[in-house]
Amino acid sequence: MELCDLPAYELSLLLRRKQVSALEITQSCLQRIEKVDGRPGQLDDGKADPQDEEKVHAFITLTKKRALAQANAIDRKLAAGEDPGPLAGIPFTVKDIFCVRGTPSTAGSRILANFVAPYTATPVERMEAAGAVLLGKVNLDEFTYGSSNESTAFQPAPRNPWNPACVPGGSSGGSAASVAAGEAPLSLGTDTAGSIRQPAAFCGVVGVKPTYGRVSRYGLIAFGSSLDCPGPLARNVVDAALMLQTIAGLDPRDSTTANLPVPDYLAALEEGVRGLRIGLSPDYFQITFPDPQTGEYRQQELPAEIEARVRYAAEVLASLGAEIIEDVPMPNTRYGIPAYFVISRVEAASNLHRYDGVKYGYRTPQPVSDLREMYRKTRNEGFGLQPKLRILMGMYVSAAQYSAQYYRRALRVRTLIRRDFDQAFDPQGKYRLHALLTPTTPTTAFEMGAVYGDSVLMQYADQLTVPANHAGVPGVSLPFGLDENRLPIGVQLLGPDFSEAVLLRIARALEQATESEPWRKLKPQVLRNLAG
Amino acid sequence: MTEYEAIIGLETHIQLNTTTKIFCSCKADSWNDPPNTNICPVCTGMPGVLPVLNRAAVEKGVLLAAAMHSELRPISYFDRKNYFYPDLPKGYQISQYDQSLAFGGWMDVPVPASAGKTAYVRRVNIQKLHLEEDAGKTKNVGNRRWIDFNRCGVPLIEMVTAPDLRSADEAAQYLIRLRQLLRWLGVSEADMEKGHLRCDANVSIRPKGAEYLNPKTEIKNVNSIDAVREAIATEIERQVREMEAGRRIEAWTLEWDEDAGVLRKMRSKETEADYRYFREPDLLPLRLDEEWKQSILVQMPELPLERRARFIEQYALPEYDADILTGERSLSEYFEAAVKAFGGDPKKVSNYLMNDVLRMLNESGKNAAELRLTPAYLAQILQLAEKGTINTTTAKSLLQKVEESGEAPQVIVEREGLARVSDESAIRAVCQQVLAANPKEVESYRAGKTTLLGWFVGQVMRQMGGKADPNLARRLLEEMLNQS
Repeated sequence: MELCDLPAYELSLLLRRKQVSALEITQSCLQRIEKVDGRPGQLDDGKADPQDEEKVHAFITLTKKRALAQANAIDRKLAAGEDPGPLAGIPFTVKDIFCVRGTPSTAGSRILANFVAPYTATPVERMEAAGAVLLGKVNLDEFTYGSSNESTAFQPAPRNPWNPACVPGGSSGGSAASVAAGEAPLSLGTDTAGSIRQPAAFCGVVGVKPTYGRVSRYGLIAFGSSLDCPGPLARNVVDAALMLQTIAGLDPRDSTTANLPVPDYLAALEEGVRGLRIGLSPDYFQITFPDPQTGEYRQQELPAEIEARVRYAAEVLASLGAEIIEDVPMPNTRYGIPAYFVISRVEAASNLHRYDGVKYGYRTPQPVSDLREMYRKTRNEGFGLQPKLRILMGMYVSAAQYSAQYYRRALRVRTLIRRDFDQAFDPQGKYRLHALLTPTTPTTAFEMGAVYGDSVLMQYADQLTVPANHAGVPGVSLPFGLDENRLPIGVQLLGPDFSEAVLLRIARALEQATESEPWRKLKPQVLRNLAG
Repeated sequence: MTEYEAIIGLETHIQLNTTTKIFCSCKADSWNDPPNTNICPVCTGMPGVLPVLNRAAVEKGVLLAAAMHSELRPISYFDRKNYFYPDLPKGYQISQYDQSLAFGGWMDVPVPASAGKTAYVRRVNIQKLHLEEDAGKTKNVGNRRWIDFNRCGVPLIEMVTAPDLRSADEAAQYLIRLRQLLRWLGVSEADMEKGHLRCDANVSIRPKGAEYLNPKTEIKNVNSIDAVREAIATEIERQVREMEAGRRIEAWTLEWDEDAGVLRKMRSKETEADYRYFREPDLLPLRLDEEWKQSILVQMPELPLERRARFIEQYALPEYDADILTGERSLSEYFEAAVKAFGGDPKKVSNYLMNDVLRMLNESGKNAAELRLTPAYLAQILQLAEKGTINTTTAKSLLQKVEESGEAPQVIVEREGLARVSDESAIRAVCQQVLAANPKEVESYRAGKTTLLGWFVGQVMRQMGGKADPNLARRLLEEMLNQS
């Protein structure tokens, strides 16, 4: 076991006992990156190297010097007897959708490839203030628009450490892959429809989508502003709680952050689930999606092994004293994706307006005859396919003559989805749930190229995660087994607003109860290869 | 020939005089600052930034809305107005659309008498009143565009009138009254030349008495009230000429060229642009709860037109005096404070203000509240003159002395011995001296040249440094000259 494979809380303990130094921890991570990451994502990926297919490719920018300097500074503080902060010496990666002063902050897009941020996002600032060591910026779908990471302009795209032929999920794919491969114990991601939870599930790590407003969005390059949530990815529940503790809370620079005290997520973590009411919903054991040929809606059961793991999780919880409530209706779950299609694209199209070649980022090098041509060429050359599709759709459904049919209708659907959750969680209601237990994803990680190109089908990868974004409620995905191809299966816990502490407590109980199960001992393939 | 009437509506943008911008903490006022010096990641639309609403901008907006008799919404929303322009760094403007801070409202604009018309009042209704952020400025230099982001995020109120104005003069009067109100409330410097108050005018004409509306033109780029008046008058004349010639008025956007005094066509009005308004997800709904609202509205002063009416009634001032004294808030407050301290005829206070104090203000560039000659001091000077302690000439020079030194009038009067001497024996003594020293003149007087009396009075006054009671001196001189 190398240092880089240890959980953050253990590293923290070792560091405080002076058994290891921050520099050693950082170097261990840098060595792991050196071994498994391969070449970083680049705009012009050159000749494909056969070796690429064995590597993780989580990074776009490795900030090695900065990391070593930060680690040294922590060690100096420790030596001087100063308090270096709760996350002192713990390395972390940041999805390249966050601005970090002095680093390229690319959003995985050509249009921001040369953009060096002049300021640092609040969650990153809080991580660094807590002593965490930034290793670098990791890859993602372009502007977070995707569920596989294949749409990034920085190729090669990240691969799944469990099977490099498969996608790591997305859009926080670089984050999930870097954590799964032991490149860093923690990563900061974002979740707009499932972009933390889905890759966490695909890569066998823990991902937390906090309540909307719990973690500041300041410095997060916006996709769907009313849906975006920054959150932690980690290898275990304790680490995720530790990181959430650090990044959560009111931010005067984000007026949508909640003015509510942040509870102690660690304090109650081990308190178990006795007396908690946890629900299962039939609406989360099937997906509804349009047939790629006919466009007609079809319903499909989930793969049996995924459903089985969720039901097994329910049994475990029941055995620990939780009350399992079956058949909780969440009837509007099926409308989550269509409503998301509309709302997120209206916001995305507007959020992308600022990339116009005027102030920063890419500007066409071609001669132009007027301003409009400069805009057109810049945006045509700078944006990849996914942003373009979102702009087209977003402009269409928010146009004056269509807005009532699409945008405003989607907002009403969103209210209905929220109502499903309100009814399930209502303390005076019929179900009085503390949490809903569901699968995180309808499938395990799919192969690269298998879905990419069908942006509708790709979107349906988020069907079970997107309702929480519509409703603003928190969700946690935790690894809970492997499928027959040794690919991770994730289960999801959803709870009422600001119930992160309870969700983490349930997740921790599930994790502890299955600690000795054999699948937990198995490592991702890229790490098995390393040993072999 | 058909008689026409003009239908005019004004769209104004009012720059609020907050310390910082509406969504970030950059300095709001960049007058005379070099380009791109009051900017930050937020107001230049860097990736990932978020707006945070400045409460002071809301409070100024609430004051103005209340003064315009608009209805305030307890919950209003910000929306994104999406369009591309280089000086709009986010590619959308944060504005308010269907649920703005306030709605409705009106202002009663007094229109003074003019050639052949008596004075009247025009009620101007308000159609729209909302908060928004300003964009930057673009300057074309050769084939390059220079962009200054200093103005990005400066708080604005957009206020649009109904098409209720009927002449260029009425439009000018509305702007004069609006400017007065904005300064009065302290919400804007309202200087049109500096762009604190911007105005576009929509103009159409129709035969007098008609109910329908003809296509209108929009006049932009008018930078003073006189220019608004002139541009509208010019446009009305043009539209009348066109209509008389049987041509249609096209919905053009026109630009006023102030130097040439002509309107130029900027563009034919295209179909209404689609700004794809939607709620700004980065800002919460703006909740103006009762407590906040009341804490703002307690600062609401009596408004200029109300105060003008009250001055006429309460102090029996002529309309002319009342208008000037309420032209500016601190002057009107000065007047009332002085009247109260004086306790005498308000018209006397008004006379001093209109003649002497206003000149003092004009020369010094101060406002009334900044004078060292406080209302209390002015009242004291008036009282001294009223009691006869000092004469009028002394009173007037005393105004200047108090303003220069900041000392109480009484102190100066005593130190400089400015009090009028009404001690009969003292004056009598001087009179005797004067008569004794000028035997020739005495002789002439007695020989019948009685007009010399004034000259004798003058001599006495001179000897006594102007402080003698001239009436008393005159009486004593007459007595003595006629005696022997």
